Amino acid sequence: MRRTTRTVGSRRPGARRYGARGAALLALAVALALPARAAAFKVVTTTEGLAALAGEVGKGRAEVESLSRGVQDPHFVDANPMLAVKLRNADLLVDVGLELEIGWLPPLVNQSRNPDIQPGGAHRLTAASAITVLDVPTGPVDRSLGDLHPAGNPHFLTDPRRALQVARAMAERLAALDPGGAATYRANLADLEKRLGADIKRWEAQLAPARGKKVFTQHRTMTYFFDWSGIVSAGEIEPRPGVPSPPSHLAELVGIAQREGVKAVLVEDYYDTKSAEVVARHAGAKLVLIPGDVGAEPGLKTYEQYMDSVVGRIAGALR
Amino acid sequence: MRIELAAAALAVLSAVPIPGRAEPAPSAPAAASAAGGSPPGAPAQGDAERKKLEEEIARELGTASPSLAARPPAPAPAAPVATSAPLGAGGSPYARVLLLPDISAIGSAGAAYDSYDVGAYSPRESPYSPKDRPDFFLEEVELGLQAVVDPYARADFFLSFGPDGAKVEEGYLTTLSLPDGLQIKAGQIFSPFGRQNQQHPHIWDFVDAPLARNRLLASDQLAGPGVDVAWLMPLPWFAELHLAGQDTAPFTGDTNELTGLARLVQFFTLGDATSLGVGLSAARRHEGPNGAARDLGGADVYLRIRPLNTRSYLAVQGEVYLRKLRGVEGEDPSTEHAWWTQAFWRQDAYWGYGVRYEQAPSAGSAPPGTEQRLGGVATWFPSEFQRLRLQLSWDRLPGGKGGLEALLHLEFGIGAHGAHPF
Repeated sequence: MRRTTRTVGSRRPGARRYGARGAALLALAVALALPARAAAFKVVTTTEGLAALAGEVGKGRAEVESLSRGVQDPHFVDANPMLAVKLRNADLLVDVGLELEIGWLPPLVNQSRNPDIQPGGAHRLTAASAITVLDVPTGPVDRSLGDLHPAGNPHFLTDPRRALQVARAMAERLAALDPGGAATYRANLADLEKRLGADIKRWEAQLAPARGKKVFTQHRTMTYFFDWSGIVSAGEIEPRPGVPSPPSHLAELVGIAQREGVKAVLVEDYYDTKSAEVVARHAGAKLVLIPGDVGAEPGLKTYEQYMDSVVGRIAGALR
Repeated sequence: MRIELAAAALAVLSAVPIPGRAEPAPSAPAAASAAGGSPPGAPAQGDAERKKLEEEIARELGTASPSLAARPPAPAPAAPVATSAPLGAGGSPYARVLLLPDISAIGSAGAAYDSYDVGAYSPRESPYSPKDRPDFFLEEVELGLQAVVDPYARADFFLSFGPDGAKVEEGYLTTLSLPDGLQIKAGQIFSPFGRQNQQHPHIWDFVDAPLARNRLLASDQLAGPGVDVAWLMPLPWFAELHLAGQDTAPFTGDTNELTGLARLVQFFTLGDATSLGVGLSAARRHEGPNGAARDLGGADVYLRIRPLNTRSYLAVQGEVYLRKLRGVEGEDPSTEHAWWTQAFWRQDAYWGYGVRYEQAPSAGSAPPGTEQRLGGVATWFPSEFQRLRLQLSWDRLPGGKGGLEALLHLEFGIGAHGAHPF
């Protein structure tokens, strides 16, 4: 490695000879890099939530890595070139889609030189394509509405039914790209379906008393959770993403809370809680911090642990 | 002449072997899955076996060995399960819209105040006012058109409209499917020299370019028609080597001359929160007859500290430029140097603050020597798509004269503008 650098740097005597040696080193470097590609099937995901699901499906066969971490706001990840290095040898890139990663993933994919993970490529799986998308705007959209997602709501992993659909799509794609592991992927998926099936029953029982109850959220990030749990959104602290709400809106929320009996304000832990705290205090509601994704807190390493925490905290607050 | 060069660049590109040229055939595994997938337990086609077959097919088609040729991306298998937004039998009424490139426009304008005659004593391209007479200015409107061309390449056009008319800031093709970590950019490009030279002004933390760049590199950006070949080295960190050939005209009045450039840029992560980027650049520009040349050298550092769970970050960066004019008539053959360094603290989504210090050779009617400038900037981001900046700087010319400058700057963008590299 160091020799490559030195050859590049020193160009004075016998340029031709150095050129030949440079080419030889290049060939060597490429040869060293190639076997790495042929080793474990390498899955790169954009978020830890997707990585957790891919890890379940690819257990014992695929090597899974996430570009972002659960503690990060997935809208604002830095397009650090180090991440492009991770994408270079990716056999499969799984992204959320619906423009969640629009601010950072496209330049990384371009820098990666990996043609197959371009949008629509065989080695690219956009998880949103596996689910029914909600919050698709039906009227005109412009940025007076804030920095919203014009293609629909990308925060769908809070609904375990949709998480399962994503896992199924992963298993199908993995089986197609890595036929030697198809049996493993299908068996892993069957196991996950069984476990999550039981979890979903348990979580639904936990949430049953909360059905029909009203809550506020920071942004419209819990739409899919509500779709599944039957809990109802009574409004958002910041309805126009990225545009701080004026006190008049917060006061209006307090009024709504008192009229409609809103008992909880749900905020993902990567958001600033200042406005939510004020509303919760004046409305006599509980501020409920929920993990933004798998990995958002120590101990939330699997999708099941993450959902256990989300369901437990919300059910607890609405008891 | 530019058109000729672009044609030459295209000729170079089309010489790159692209197998088939026809529609890319679905890859073997994709086809298998379309046909229902291989039954579990059936012996899978080995990698070596498949590669052999691939090579055999390539031979039959009369193309180069697939491992050496550009790899056309295989299309995705059939769309999985349910999709959103069911559409009527007549197809999507948005089909034309879907084929449009991403279109964006970014406007920048402001007001300037200078307490001394900048035009005479510290000439620069960036906005300034006549002595003691505050002035409004329109800097530019940048129009961006960006999309993929085909499965092999994408195109980015940035057109700048300003008080001096319209120009193509950049307009280039970027390959997406070359093998072995190679990527080629061809067309009108900002030269791969230093960190800031490749950025559009709306990415800068400060309103104007450092004096160092204005004085030693180019009055605007060092740019021109040409080709940039970048190799992402197969190393565990990010290391990219650029070799470029371009026609550049760095300063007003210069003719286009052939310029060769080399740049090595590397990025490292130091723990969860810190990234370090270092770059080394070199360039030689042909300066007319008799083997006269302009040699440029540069080094740049970028350090970014951002705890993962916040929007705030600290970015410290700096650049050094060296210039030597060899055998250019009437020019000092000694090596000149200039540098700048800055720190920017993004407090949260809405506020950011920066300081900058610079040194560069003086220019215009100022006494020969080193000009120094110290500046500060305060930025308000009402949203992701707008920022208002107040920049104050104090300029010290050789001999002690100089003065104060205040710039109030507004920048606003509409449309879909592609995310910027780090």
